[in-house]
Amino acid sequence: MAKRDRLEIIKDILSIIQSNQNSIKITPLIRKSNLSSSNFYEYHSELLKKNFIKETAHSNNKFISLTDKGLKFLEKYRTIINFIDEFEL
Amino acid sequence: MGPGRTILNQLAQQVVQANISTEILYSFIIIVCSLMIYYGTKEIYELSSYKGLKFFRQAFLFFALAYFFRSFIKLILFYFNVHGIFSISPKLLNPLISQITLTLFMYFSAMAIFYLLYSVMYKKRNYENKIYLFHVISVVLAVFSVVSRNPFSYLGLNILLLVFVLVIVYISYKNSKKKTKGHNLYAIYVLLLFFWILNIIDILIPTFFQNFQLIVYIASSGIFFLMLYKVLKKAGSN
Repeated sequence: MAKRDRLEIIKDILSIIQSNQNSIKITPLIRKSNLSSSNFYEYHSELLKKNFIKETAHSNNKFISLTDKGLKFLEKYRTIINFIDEFEL
Repeated sequence: MGPGRTILNQLAQQVVQANISTEILYSFIIIVCSLMIYYGTKEIYELSSYKGLKFFRQAFLFFALAYFFRSFIKLILFYFNVHGIFSISPKLLNPLISQITLTLFMYFSAMAIFYLLYSVMYKKRNYENKIYLFHVISVVLAVFSVVSRNPFSYLGLNILLLVFVLVIVYISYKNSKKKTKGHNLYAIYVLLLFFWILNIIDILIPTFFQNFQLIVYIASSGIFFLMLYKVLKKAGSN
């Protein structure tokens, strides 16, 4: 399998959250994202910082869900990739 | 003063006004196109934080700034009816004003080309932390050209950059034989730089083009329009 680039990994993480009715616990998210824990937490903090995801607590469990900005990223992902390809950036 | 002389004076004034109008319109088109490219890619950059996109946008922001100062220089030349920025008498205009404007024009235009080149190259050679080097080179060259009153060293650098771009384009073309995309884009980049150099010559040697000036302006505007069209189409921007 080819190495995924940064944008593709972000898209995969956000897609997993979206496909789980926009609410998923952190452990299954790490498992499904095919990343090492340390790698995942780097992306996790970046996504939180960029306000793509938010964390909510429910009966002692932390759930992750997408924000509007996260949804916007998924919506625009194809456009961003096409643009980068087209202009060879 | 005879009627013949008055008509000639009026005609000369009309020619100057027409030139100024062309100049303002031309600068306006390029500045608006560049800013539309910059703002048209704002959303996809903010979402992706992709470095290549950042450099690409910076290039057009710097193009807009360079053209702004270019038009300012042109207006000074028209206003004082001189053929070179260094020919203005210090009694008419504080030399600092023209020298600072020329330095800024040279700095922004060199940076625009560096950014454009870097946006395509940065994946192969990641010098991101050394971007300040490009700023230093641009500042040193601009200041040197102005202080030494030798703007041709600046033109030399731009011609060197054009050769460099041609080499990069050739290498990329060879490496992507199977790809059909991208080649048009490289052609646009080469044309963009080529017409940019013509614009620099136009500033440094205002009498160089004479009757061809309008053709250069139309062609340059065409390149920017083409770039804007491609960007807005691909960025899905309104």
